[in-house]
Order: sequence, then structure tokens, then C-alpha cells
Amino acid sequence: MKKYEAVIILNPNLSPKVETFTKNFEELLNSNSFNIVKYEDVGRRQLAYSINNHNKGHYLLFNIEGDPIKLIEIENKIKYDESIIRHLFITVKKHSGEDSQLLVDSKNIKAEDEEIHNKKVEEEPEVTKPIYNTESKEVDSQEDFKEKVESEEAKSEEDKDE
Amino acid sequence: MSKYNLPKEFDYKNVNILKQFITETGKIIPARVTGVSAQNQRKLTRYIKIARFLALLPYTDMHN
Repeated sequence: MKKYEAVIILNPNLSPKVETFTKNFEELLNSNSFNIVKYEDVGRRQLAYSINNHNKGHYLLFNIEGDPIKLIEIENKIKYDESIIRHLFITVKKHSGEDSQLLVDSKNIKAEDEEIHNKKVEEEPEVTKPIYNTESKEVDSQEDFKEKVESEEAKSEEDKDE
Repeated sequence: MSKYNLPKEFDYKNVNILKQFITETGKIIPARVTGVSAQNQRKLTRYIKIARFLALLPYTDMHN
């Protein structure tokens, strides 16, 4: 038994079908008596350079355990899968149980996007509110003005009476 | 001691740390410039090369 980390970059056009792919891949691993310790779906990510004219890739990370001889069979099958742009199996001494930095980064980016989106939604009423306030103030001032005028008129009438 | 954020264990997936050790053109910066220990430099180069293969880092700035 050896411990491996598998990174698979999927064709970004197939990212809606990730679940079916992962199911098939897990079946392939299980049929070769591989254990899946951890699975991470990082999601679509910008590639540093284009591979087969793809600028984005859907990253999947697997922490797996199994027999080195069986791994060759798995790799031979994966080689001819056209939905995979690139794949890598690396031996590791230990599986770190924590989320990988890639997943953390993608989550942070998503959270930031949501924050920006939420801010935009919040800002819109904030922008409109002050306008209402100014209008209401204007109305108030107009009313004040009317009252002043009325009071002045009343005063003038009183003056006349006198 | 060093001006770089070095983790306890290097990882090819931690792109932000590896990015400190490549130039704008994508080359690996020599240890004599960065002052990283020889042991850490060997690890860095190994993981930078893995990250390049996985398109997390560029090989050069001449792609596309």
C-alpha cells in the first residue's frame, strides 16, 4: 500500500458532468482496490498556459491509497480519456487531512465574489435613500416656508387690525 | 530571518508561496539571490516544476 495524491484537470466544457465523471473514476479506483481518503472538487480555474486550446480547467484532487502495480493499469485507462486534459499521480509520505490551498483559494475567491455581489445589492437602496431624504427635507422646508408665509400673513393681518 | 513566507511543509498546490520564487518571466530565482537554504531550494524547485506541469504556474511569459 502506498499513499498517492492524484490531480486531474478536466475539460472545462464538461464541468456540469463532473459528478458522473467522479463516480466513474471512483469505481475505477475501487475496482483496482484503491482507497479514497479524501476528495476535493476545486472547480474551474484559470490555467497558467493553454493546454489543447483550453484556457480554463476543472481541477479535481484525490488522496488515495493503493498498490503501485494497479496504479499503472489505472493510468493506462486514464491516458485515453479525452475528457481529461492532464493528470498527475504523486507519492506522498502522509496525507494532510486539511483542505488543500487550492480549494481554500477558490473558496475565498467565491466568497469575495459573493461579497461584492451582496455589496452591490446593498448599495443600490443606500444610494436611493439619501435622495428620498433630501426630497423629504425639501418638502419639509417647503412646508416650513408655507408656514412662515402664513405666519407672516397672519402677522400682517394682525398689524392691519391694529 | 528571511523576508519570505516559508511554510513548514512545501506543497505544489500552494501557488502563492511558490510565486515568490519565480521571476516575472517565470524563471526560478537562484538561491544565491533569495538566500533560501540549499535544502529548501531543492524542495522549491521540485514543487515549482510540478506546479508548472499542472498549469498552476507558467513556464515562461511567452505562452499563447
